[in-house]
Amino acid sequence: MSQPTDPPGTPPDSAIERELTHDEFDPIGTAVLITLYFLILVGMWLFTYFVEFLGNGPTVVGVIG
Amino acid sequence: MDIHTYEKAWLGAALVLIVFFIATVTYGTVGAGVEMIDDSGGTVDPNNLADHERFGDPGVEQVGENEYEVNVIASAFFFRPGSDQRGFDPIRVPANSTVTFYVTSSDVIHGFSIPGTNVNTMVIPGEVAELTVEFDEPETYGLLCNEYCGFDHHNMEGTVEVVPEDQYDGGDGQ
Repeated sequence: MSQPTDPPGTPPDSAIERELTHDEFDPIGTAVLITLYFLILVGMWLFTYFVEFLGNGPTVVGVIG
Repeated sequence: MDIHTYEKAWLGAALVLIVFFIATVTYGTVGAGVEMIDDSGGTVDPNNLADHERFGDPGVEQVGENEYEVNVIASAFFFRPGSDQRGFDPIRVPANSTVTFYVTSSDVIHGFSIPGTNVNTMVIPGEVAELTVEFDEPETYGLLCNEYCGFDHHNMEGTVEVVPEDQYDGGDGQ
């Protein structure tokens, strides 16, 4: 049972297994996943722009006027 | 404010991504020369196209050594020239040429699209769509209206023939 003085939402001391400081929090799996998504995004942009768009000639061309 | 290292990296990567997107589009414009179609073609009176110097006698015109101008009128439901299916001349230009299309409409909004390529514009009555295209290889392309223009819109089609240079007969009067 938590002490009546604990703010709401705070786990009781007995429930804390390990306490981390801000910089010790290291969600490496999430970081790897996001990096993977990021690389997929960059790859898809490169494919869409350079292969599907610029490679889909003839293209409307001109000089910047 | 205390920002986690991963979050700093993510913010940095997001900014780099934006710069990267802008850089590739800038390359497309400056390096590859891709242009957007604007209103530089000017305006015409759609009810008097027959009197217009460009659209009075639409067709292919040679204006330079490898430069051609193609004046096209889009009407319900044909391209003139272009719609050989309707008895008009196909648009015929030689390979290795720079072709500027001037397209206008005599009635309603049409589309002017060569499927499978990036050649595509809206054709608005009273406006001239001006688009320059480089045709390098001989090939026969289709031509389609891609703006719904009436009951026979789905049959509004044409042909753009890019023929080998030595087989090109000079344009008009084909």
